[in-house]
Amino acid sequence: MLSDSSVRKVLELGLSRGADFAEVFAEDSEVSGIDLLDRKVEDISSGNSFGVGVRLLFGDEAYYGYSSDAAEEQLLKLTENLARAHAEGAPGSLSVFRVESVLDRHPVRVAPDNVPKRERVELLRHLDELTRQQGEAIRQVGASVMEKHRSVLIANSEGLWVEDSRQYARLRLAAIAEKGDGPQTATESPGVLGGYEFFQGLDAERITSEAAQAALRMAGAGYIDGGTMPVVLGNGFGGVIFHEACGHPLETEAIRKNASPFAGKVGEAVAQPILTAIDDGTLANRWGSLNVDDEGQPAQRTVLIENGILKGYLSDRIGARQVGVARTGSARRESYRFAPVSRMRNTYIDRGPHTVEDMIASVDYGLYARKMGGGSVDPATGEFNFAVQEGYVIRKGKIAEPVRGATLIGKGFEVLPLISMIGNDLELAAGMCGASSGWVPTTVGQPTLKIDRILVGGR
Amino acid sequence: MEWQTAVDFALSLAREHRESDVDVLLNRSESLAIKVLNHRVEKVDQSTAQGLGVRVVKDGRTGIAYTERLEPPAIEKAFLAARENAELPDPTEVVMNRALPEVPDPATLELFNPALDALTVDDLARFGLEAEAAAFAADARVKAVPYTVVKRENGRYLVASTHGMRYSQHSNSVGAYCSAMLDSGTQRKSGTYAWASRAWDATQGAALGREAAGRGAALLGARSIPGGRLPVVLDEYVAPDLLSMYLGNFSAEAAQKGMSRLRGRLGEPIADAAIALTDDPHRVGAPGSRYLDAEGVATQPLPLIEGGVFRNFLYHVESARKDGRESTGHAGRGYSGGISTRTHSVVMPTGTHDLDALCAIPERCLLVTELEGGAGCNPVSGDISIGVQGYLIEGGRRMQPVDSVTIAGNFFDLLRNIRAVGDRYQPNLTNRFIPALLVEGLVLSG
Repeated sequence: MLSDSSVRKVLELGLSRGADFAEVFAEDSEVSGIDLLDRKVEDISSGNSFGVGVRLLFGDEAYYGYSSDAAEEQLLKLTENLARAHAEGAPGSLSVFRVESVLDRHPVRVAPDNVPKRERVELLRHLDELTRQQGEAIRQVGASVMEKHRSVLIANSEGLWVEDSRQYARLRLAAIAEKGDGPQTATESPGVLGGYEFFQGLDAERITSEAAQAALRMAGAGYIDGGTMPVVLGNGFGGVIFHEACGHPLETEAIRKNASPFAGKVGEAVAQPILTAIDDGTLANRWGSLNVDDEGQPAQRTVLIENGILKGYLSDRIGARQVGVARTGSARRESYRFAPVSRMRNTYIDRGPHTVEDMIASVDYGLYARKMGGGSVDPATGEFNFAVQEGYVIRKGKIAEPVRGATLIGKGFEVLPLISMIGNDLELAAGMCGASSGWVPTTVGQPTLKIDRILVGGR
Repeated sequence: MEWQTAVDFALSLAREHRESDVDVLLNRSESLAIKVLNHRVEKVDQSTAQGLGVRVVKDGRTGIAYTERLEPPAIEKAFLAARENAELPDPTEVVMNRALPEVPDPATLELFNPALDALTVDDLARFGLEAEAAAFAADARVKAVPYTVVKRENGRYLVASTHGMRYSQHSNSVGAYCSAMLDSGTQRKSGTYAWASRAWDATQGAALGREAAGRGAALLGARSIPGGRLPVVLDEYVAPDLLSMYLGNFSAEAAQKGMSRLRGRLGEPIADAAIALTDDPHRVGAPGSRYLDAEGVATQPLPLIEGGVFRNFLYHVESARKDGRESTGHAGRGYSGGISTRTHSVVMPTGTHDLDALCAIPERCLLVTELEGGAGCNPVSGDISIGVQGYLIEGGRRMQPVDSVTIAGNFFDLLRNIRAVGDRYQPNLTNRFIPALLVEGLVLSG
């Protein structure tokens, strides 16, 4: 992607201007997508993203610049501009590059280039047909495939030289049902860090039935009376609440700014002993996995909470330095356009001893949030807000009528200790997570679990 | 390769390969941003980003490809990929626009101020440091100021086609954001404020920090209030954010695909009779303004709601042909994607009440000053369910700050239940000119 000598000159220039650390991140990505909507494949698109990011650290100060022009003189000019923005320091010297070999834990079994686009179009039409067969009230179907290949090079002034190749594949299916009072949408969006074998192995019947049936149930649903109540939170994408309300505040990017309720709490009980939470970047072919992070560190399995005790944070180079913890291989960025910061990978609450039936049976009146939609959180205060995509009232220990339009709101560190039952049905789900270093693929997950009380917004 | 030459090169490939319906869109942006933390500049970001998108239409089939490398081999690869991508899709009604309208000089939209491009790291740093210092000084309960960002950016946009259409715009802006975290000992609150302008004003840094801290301080002590139906005032920052989530319903394409509740309702009353809503593409200084849309169609102001009555859908070429009419000039496109429907500047006329007067109309109401994410809002069904923060107002007086509540309802009911509108728009650069709104019928859960 870039020559050894160009990278060397850039890094040396940075060091000669007083940076104590210099890094080059180069990326060459190919992305392609096919969208089907209203029974038609309307657009087929493809694209190439290419650029180089240069980062200079002067102590705790970071200077980042990027360009999609990778000519050597352009990169030297960019580096010069970055260094000029900072007062000069003592010049440093560059270590000899040591090429790190990357252990590929996420093999691509079927190379996407070997499969004609027509096959993807046929898959989308098949999914459209299966979804519509689920019921007459299915009024619209949207389906798309996205494939992306990222080649990255990370080299730094400590002599690191790492090249990695990342192949992603994702499907998105949206079913829209209408029964007279407005359309209701339900979506399924599985994805992997892997090749075309993902599409070949899809359980089309299950995915289309999940999306269509959820849309059909919600189209006929009423609204829940809002208020504080027990909530049984479904497995898989239900983990988005832990991701937003606890995962982000456990990133050193929040800790180092004193913008996290979890700052200084390592070793303290933050949840009941039943709860263990993990962020694992090594799970084979999972959507949020990595071979190496975007600073070139091998991905790791990081225990965040063990038996209710806070064990650690997710860290990048700057976060580790400022918070005084080890790096966890969690530095991530959407593309060369972003400097890396600590981010989640595959984050989940581990399985527990209970069954879904136990949990439902323990609730006199409450909400079963079978499937969550998106949400947001203020990491500084822990305040979160999440939509329930598919919900049911629980009445006298039994699942009763479906309800829509519910939201869950609360504060992460207050809700965490209120998780009192955890199921044995752990499932992971793919998502995209947006933060200061852009949108990165992450997996959320959990077994079904029970929160003793939380505010449910309804009507 | 120079960016204008890159566009010409892509069009020359179209001629060479005898493709008659090709357009090329180029975006190029430059930005400089600083972040401040703990009284120091902790990060400087400097960037140049560009991308060139090629759209090839063959017998109603569209192929799209892009590249961020403006070099002949990469552009040729993108062109050939777009051409190949145009072979498989289903044919649609899309055509490339052949009519070439008279285009006014885009400079008359006043979207570019050359003085902003001269701002240095030092200028932005001083602004950010003053914002952070002012936030800390404003209130002893400010324990951290985790986010202070100051950024200037400029963008060029050029679209050209094999039919001779060529249109470009140049715009820039400067903005800043400050978020302070306050801790009263028993409660934490964030106070955030943003500033966005096309005129540099170095004194705004301190004002930004004070405002961020002040907003957080005013919310300390917030608690929930009992649920029920309560009139709600959405302030002039919140109202445009909330309404924007539902503007997709005005897209003809959405209606044609069963994804708008406005389908079949042209000419019907959908809002209170006093409500008007217009899309104005020519509003001077508004970042969304342009004389030609992404398909080269001349833009024009378009009434969406007049006297409460639904008047027009937003069309691009394909959706217009499906309904047997002309495009209204609402095609949008980025270099990496296809044509979509976009608004330019959505304008709701102001009324006569300032915010205090608006809050004093009902005996008791909730003034909403913060929305907590829109995930519970369904843009297709119109369902609204969202956590909010603000103040309980009784007899026009602020009784207490409020949090841990949600408001719920439906966008289409909300339009009918607007009882009064405020007398001003929020002051930042925006494409949404919607004043504060007094709304009835929303349900509060606490």
